[in-house]
Amino acid sequence: MNWLGTPASDAQPGVERYLAEVAARLPGSPRAHRDIVAELRSGILDATDAHCSAGLPPAEAVQAAIDEFGDPARVADGFSAEIATGLARRAAVVVLVTGPLVGVLWIVTAVASHIAPHHQWADLPPGLQVGVPLVAVAAGVTACGALFGIAATGRLTRWLPDLCRRAPAAAAVAGFGAIGAEALGLALLGAQLATAAGTLSPWPAAAAAAASVARLMFARRAAFRCLAIRTGLT
Amino acid sequence: MRAETLKGHLDGILLAVLEPEPRHGYAIMEALRDRSAGQVDLPTGTIYPALHRLERTGLVRASWSTVGGRRRRVYELTSAGRRALETERSTWRDFSAAVTALLQPMPLAVSPQ
Repeated sequence: MNWLGTPASDAQPGVERYLAEVAARLPGSPRAHRDIVAELRSGILDATDAHCSAGLPPAEAVQAAIDEFGDPARVADGFSAEIATGLARRAAVVVLVTGPLVGVLWIVTAVASHIAPHHQWADLPPGLQVGVPLVAVAAGVTACGALFGIAATGRLTRWLPDLCRRAPAAAAVAGFGAIGAEALGLALLGAQLATAAGTLSPWPAAAAAAASVARLMFARRAAFRCLAIRTGLT
Repeated sequence: MRAETLKGHLDGILLAVLEPEPRHGYAIMEALRDRSAGQVDLPTGTIYPALHRLERTGLVRASWSTVGGRRRRVYELTSAGRRALETERSTWRDFSAAVTALLQPMPLAVSPQ
């Protein structure tokens, strides 16, 4: 097996060169292209068999099959749009699903630390009074971006195929929203630690902080990848 | 027939080819050529992204299967795909009837002497 996952018996240098040319133009990692490359390979080998059966000598049959599949750039363009759509959809789903999970950990922290529901809103430190609504705004932006990204990559695109083009941008908005929400959450934790560290319940706070850091890192990676793929599409 | 001419109809054509039975990519291409008596001859590589798009939108379902030692991705219509094909058929019938009527040669208007 080579890096493209070819069984040695089917390896044809011309075919592998063509597949490598397609793969080199696809966004994302080679691992993500493995199934696409395998499917194209089996198609080209089927085409080669068909040309052989029609009477071409093997070497010419391979070349005829490659010619029949068309310009590698054009094949890659077709798949790039699909890969971008899939990437945007996954990013939007992960960001949307993890938001409430991380949120619950912060609420547990607030309850365990006797910040909520024991304090009236007016009694809370000014940092929290400003920070919590900002987190809510960031979460709202995230949810809107993510929901649009999911809608723009699903069944709706049967009727509105061009909607997919907007999905990477929407997923990037969701990603930046999530970065904002998590960074604010961590900043509020930092402020609380600096001013009233003794009141915080350590385990829930540590779990919430770890979850926020993980989500922030995922969102950052996803947002920049979606931005990059969006630029590549236009 | 070039890809540009087929633009907008490729999805419906792929669904129609998959209606009788599930097929893998190259068999779909062969069926396209056979059923159009060689008139449809797209670069074969371009139908694969179209099939992936149909899969994402739930109109076809794909699965890997090994036949004769070669792994192939086999596509079959979903029930949503069958419904979409019916819609595509009736839209096309209306469209082609209208365009046929419009392209019909008209008797030339006789100018008054």
